[in-house]
Amino acid sequence: MTNTAMRAGVSSSGLLEQPEVDAATSIENAASNAMPASRKPGRAEINGSVIAGIGLVALIALWIMAVRFLRVPPYILPAPEAVLNALWSGIAISPASPKGYYLPLWSTLSNAATGFAIGSGLGLVLGSLMAESRLVEKLLMPYAFALQSLPKVAIAPLVVIWFGFGDGSKVAIAALLAFFPVLINSFTGLRATEPERIDLMRSLSATRFETYRIVKLPNAAPFIFAGLDMAVVYALLGAIVAEFLGAQQGMGVVITQAQAVSDVAGVFAALVILGVLGIALHSSVRRLEHRVVHWAHRGKR
Amino acid sequence: MQAAPSVSRDAAHVRSSARSLIDVRNVSKTYVTASGGNVHALNRVDLKIAEGEFVCVVGPSGCGKSTLLRMLAGLDTYDSGSLALDNRPVAGPSGDVGVVFQAANLLPWLTVRENVRLPLRVGGRRASADPRIDDLLAMAGLGDFAARYPYELSGGMQQRAGICRALARDPQILLMDEPFGALDALTRERMNMELQRIWQANRKTIMLITHSISEAIFLGDRVVVMSARPGRVLADLDVPIPRPRSFDTIVTHPGYARLASEIRGLLNAQEGAAHD
Repeated sequence: MTNTAMRAGVSSSGLLEQPEVDAATSIENAASNAMPASRKPGRAEINGSVIAGIGLVALIALWIMAVRFLRVPPYILPAPEAVLNALWSGIAISPASPKGYYLPLWSTLSNAATGFAIGSGLGLVLGSLMAESRLVEKLLMPYAFALQSLPKVAIAPLVVIWFGFGDGSKVAIAALLAFFPVLINSFTGLRATEPERIDLMRSLSATRFETYRIVKLPNAAPFIFAGLDMAVVYALLGAIVAEFLGAQQGMGVVITQAQAVSDVAGVFAALVILGVLGIALHSSVRRLEHRVVHWAHRGKR
Repeated sequence: MQAAPSVSRDAAHVRSSARSLIDVRNVSKTYVTASGGNVHALNRVDLKIAEGEFVCVVGPSGCGKSTLLRMLAGLDTYDSGSLALDNRPVAGPSGDVGVVFQAANLLPWLTVRENVRLPLRVGGRRASADPRIDDLLAMAGLGDFAARYPYELSGGMQQRAGICRALARDPQILLMDEPFGALDALTRERMNMELQRIWQANRKTIMLITHSISEAIFLGDRVVVMSARPGRVLADLDVPIPRPRSFDTIVTHPGYARLASEIRGLLNAQEGAAHD
């Protein structure tokens, strides 16, 4: 199977240069179209979003057909139109209205952002201390892994007891989830500094902090951004999980309320919003990374 | 130093007359590897380098020549003997020593100017004088590339920036650890010419480690040949070829072929000994 698929891929990319394309292989061609083109920088990004768009359209088409022809009842899987309606009623509304998505979204986002800032900041500081000192590493690393192995759903009620049903518990759980990926990634990245670069700083009698700031931290930046990329999505997840346990407002509340009245389309609409938000957060971290860690990306070309 | 055409093998009288800036006496070093074995890296090494002198060190791979350079740079410790720079025992990195590393070792997140300026803004220094940096870059032909990042430069240009960085603090001594090893042959010859020009312009005391016999003869006032591990000084040869040298004329100089074959003979004997 893989063999034929590979051969098809190779032959079709070769066929691309020829004007006429065999009708039988045209589908494979469409699929592998992006392969040779993506090697050219600049066009790669356009092709990426085209592929994502085609994928989305295909997914929705499949969804419509599944609901229509397999007769899936709407309380199990609502039709895309119903979800779209629910989305629209939440979006096309005054931002101040409690029925819209804007207020809960803002509440969830601000809690997630605060938690993300606290969690990843703490992760970076502790990761740095662990990377700089074997003593701190030996002292803290076991607890970091113990904390990470605990199911967060199990700690969440405890956090609610400590921080209450207000924003505090949401921020705390978001921070808890954002903490670990940044901790481990910054630790790994800081330790991965080339010894020649450390030697350079030593030969210049640089202080430990200068070596950290000028060499180790930029060196670890690609690692740290990989951690932040995970952390930003985890923070959003943490805030919503905390909202499930009880909150006055937030996207988690929107979901639980829709669930309570069996408004499956409403649940789906909220999930779509959260999914889009996840993609947006991820891509903004990536964009920031490309700007900050420009040398790593240009160097690869 | 330029007027030292004496072909005599033992030029101790020439050296003792000038102030010796680098003074290595009886230095030995054994280090423990990660697997727990002992490696006897250096054995009773003696080396004197006078002020303004350019000395090249050649030797088989792993003979401890880089270790010797790292000790002089204050990056490595030694077990016995004494190591002095300008009559002061080496106790750690010194501002009076510039180190040129293998493969340039520039920081990719800093521009060329920032890389070259680095020595002026660390180690308790607060740099304000940039003109010197720009002069250095201009001298190395990097004036137009000051604002570029290292990945935008060729290998030869990167190493020129590395040399500029080592010169930023205007040190008396330049230690160079196989600086051109990663470059292709033609670029390497051009870099050798450049380095000779830079050295003739500001007369630093240079110790350069290399694998290349022709590079050692082209650049050095003296060529020090080291033995296989444990490294010691096998021969200390004067290069009787007047400066400025060029690769076109140097090969026709009668001293060149004789010196090259002598060094090659010494190194080949070492290779044989190492394989026995």
